[in-house]
Amino acid sequence: MFKLTGRADATGLAGPLPDKVWRIRLPGEPGTMGADHASSSLACLISEDQTPPAGYGLYLMTGSAPAASEIPGPVLGLGPELAHLAAGDIIHVHGDGRRINVLWKNSARHNALLLTEQCDNYCLMCSQPPKDRDDSWLFDRARRVISLLPDDAQALSFTGGEPTLNADAFIDLLEHCQKVAPRLSLHLLSNGRRFADPQFTRRYADVGLGDIMVGIPVYAPEPGLHDFIVQAAGAFDDTVHGILNLASLGQAIEIRVVIQRHTIPVLARLAAFITRNLPFVAQVALMGLEMTGLARPNSAQVWADPADYQSELVEAVRILTMAGIPTRIYNHQLCVLERRLWPYAVRSISDWKNDYLDVCQECSVRDACGGVFTTSGNRLSQHLHAMPSPAPAPFPARI
Amino acid sequence: MIKLERTATLLSPHSWQLLPLRFHRLDADSVVLTSMVGEHEFVTPDELDAVVDGTCTDQELLARLRAVHLIQLPGERLPAELLAIKLRTRMRRLPDSTGLHIFVVTLRCEHTCRYCQVSRQPTAKNEFDMTEQTARQALELAFMSPSPHIKIEFQGGEPLLNFPLIRWITTEAKRMNKEHGKDLAFVIATNLALLDEEILDFCAAEDIYLSTSLDGPADLHNGNRRRPGQNSWDQAVAGIRLAQERLGMHKVSALVTTTAASLNRAAEIVDLYAELGLRGVFLRPISPYGFALRRRGGADYEVSQWLEFYEAGLDRVEELCSQGVPMMEIYASIIAKKMLSNTDPGYVDLTSPAGIGIGALVYNYDGDVYASDEGRMLAEMSDRTFRLGNVHDSSYADIMLSDSLLDPLMESVTLSAPMCSTCAFEPYCGADPVFHHTTAGNFLGHKALSAFCQRNMGVFTLLLRKMRDDPYFLDLMRQWAQ
Repeated sequence: MFKLTGRADATGLAGPLPDKVWRIRLPGEPGTMGADHASSSLACLISEDQTPPAGYGLYLMTGSAPAASEIPGPVLGLGPELAHLAAGDIIHVHGDGRRINVLWKNSARHNALLLTEQCDNYCLMCSQPPKDRDDSWLFDRARRVISLLPDDAQALSFTGGEPTLNADAFIDLLEHCQKVAPRLSLHLLSNGRRFADPQFTRRYADVGLGDIMVGIPVYAPEPGLHDFIVQAAGAFDDTVHGILNLASLGQAIEIRVVIQRHTIPVLARLAAFITRNLPFVAQVALMGLEMTGLARPNSAQVWADPADYQSELVEAVRILTMAGIPTRIYNHQLCVLERRLWPYAVRSISDWKNDYLDVCQECSVRDACGGVFTTSGNRLSQHLHAMPSPAPAPFPARI
Repeated sequence: MIKLERTATLLSPHSWQLLPLRFHRLDADSVVLTSMVGEHEFVTPDELDAVVDGTCTDQELLARLRAVHLIQLPGERLPAELLAIKLRTRMRRLPDSTGLHIFVVTLRCEHTCRYCQVSRQPTAKNEFDMTEQTARQALELAFMSPSPHIKIEFQGGEPLLNFPLIRWITTEAKRMNKEHGKDLAFVIATNLALLDEEILDFCAAEDIYLSTSLDGPADLHNGNRRRPGQNSWDQAVAGIRLAQERLGMHKVSALVTTTAASLNRAAEIVDLYAELGLRGVFLRPISPYGFALRRRGGADYEVSQWLEFYEAGLDRVEELCSQGVPMMEIYASIIAKKMLSNTDPGYVDLTSPAGIGIGALVYNYDGDVYASDEGRMLAEMSDRTFRLGNVHDSSYADIMLSDSLLDPLMESVTLSAPMCSTCAFEPYCGADPVFHHTTAGNFLGHKALSAFCQRNMGVFTLLLRKMRDDPYFLDLMRQWAQ
């Protein structure tokens, strides 16, 4: 794990900085500064014993406070929590120079951009609780990040809030992606409701992105329970219509099911509903709870120990996989999953918020396991344990 | 942190509407409800009453019914839209039209099976062989079918008695297919007695499947399937093993015909199939046609007796599966697809509109075209109702638009047939105008008197009860549905 926000030592600044997104570059890095549009957004990362080259708009220094006189431009000292910054990373430096957000970690498997904190659902277990305020600057920031992405950038996720609420800003951003990073693999987290509007879905498809998948949560096979879980009347109807509209235009769809106290009893029925009504989806992700955001105050409503829902999970996975639907299990530690479910488990917890416990040190399958959410605090399964060595053999029959 | 209370999303009495819903009592305390696309739920009779009269307060039950589109709230559009999509999906094979083309390459046979539904001829009579000219005309018609999948099945008699024509048709069909680009497959329906190296080499080279008859253990099989030397079973088993070895395990399959002598021996029959490494057993009842109908040989048992036999066989299949032996009952697997997926496998004897003509066409040795194999048999008994034309003087349009085909198709559609249209099992069942023409004198039949209806109702009831009571069997059905 590593921190995505941190503080900088701005004592070396002569005046305020522009509120801006920067890509980090090393002094000796091959390639030229060039005259490309991005060069003015390059920040040079130097260590104490290096002589900084001239020409950068910002210098970042690890270690002790820099002597401003030796640096050919504005300089910030990075605290230890940002010592992980490296070439190709993209950061947002606020105008006071003290606050830094890491927006793109070049070495990470997952990078996500928050596009808004507004949402028209209010899910009981939301890990990113909605805030109803104007945050349209987030779209501008995302646009700048995309412009600065390295040429070999592979994958990027858009998250919220509900990224499609501001339809024009959202479509503009996708068109920008298509223009400057057409080969990027994109994943969008959306509640799908906006796609119930066929005209919006048509605009989305017409952007023409070759590799974009939208992950849409469906929590129950009928409106009563789904609408309660997402705390919005009419949501199920919108979401399923949205999925149908996307499918009719050949768009890739992932269905995301968060496993929590209310969804466990209907998990098998939901799986059957998907196989009968939405069999065209590219994949179904069955997700363990991240006990943060609204999940904490609603803990009594939503928490369930994974060890207590294994039979329901097995049945759901069987129904989906036998119908030929690719199925993944996210956010579950291998030690609380039945052995026959292991082939479906994915190391899905982002590397900036996963961790291993003391008990994991002795585990024989630690490297294959995604660990736990640091964001969940101590709300974890009571059944976490080290798997003995050698690890249990694969299940004899197919699941 | 609750903005929308759970109670606000529950259904109050009299608030819901029934969607198209049919029901059938399985037991004193159990009723199955089915939707128009075959999704189903089990309820008690009291629960059904409460759902229908609007007084139900069991939210879990109401949610289950809502999930499979048996009830909805007024004004909802989504359930009808999803039902429409599912119904379209079930029907999507219809525009493809005929995929199976049966070539009767000879009527000659060296077996004299007691139940044979084909009018066989002694092996020396060459006038009952199909000619190349007839075969060429039949191929022209077969390639007129819009279906992207064309399966050519060689039948007889014993088709291997006219092996040169099989070779000719295969080569010619592949040559013609260079222009048509269909997914082309071949299968020979044979008793395997004449299988030799030359035939095996040819099947291996041309990727041809073999389908044979195996009625069970030797005494049972040889009692049914008579042949000089009484060695039909030895020949069939040796042929199956040889074909598995030379062509691959999946290239040979076998069918059971159930006679009175089979009735107490279901487990033995299934075990023999497992022993031979066959992955599927098809426990079929005897057909009412031809020799099988005219003679006493075989058709001397009640539907109820066959159902007992079927259940015993199915139980044995399940037992083998639970021991890790891969085995499937083919009829149950066809019905599993209809019960647990949106696919209608289009099995010719269990689909609506019926499979005659639009599922399969039969080209007889003399060029006559029939709507089904049973239709050809009736013609041999001088009932030419299902003769659609002749390859030498009928166009594709003549055949596919003939009254002999369209009348039985239209008159037997289950959705409009009395007693079928209200039957809970309609989504699983099919129309069999040839059977009902033969047994009742019209294409529809009277379902209360129909052995077809009685048999299939029995099978559906059995499968549903087992799925309801036996999680392992439900899991098997889900596997078979794929």
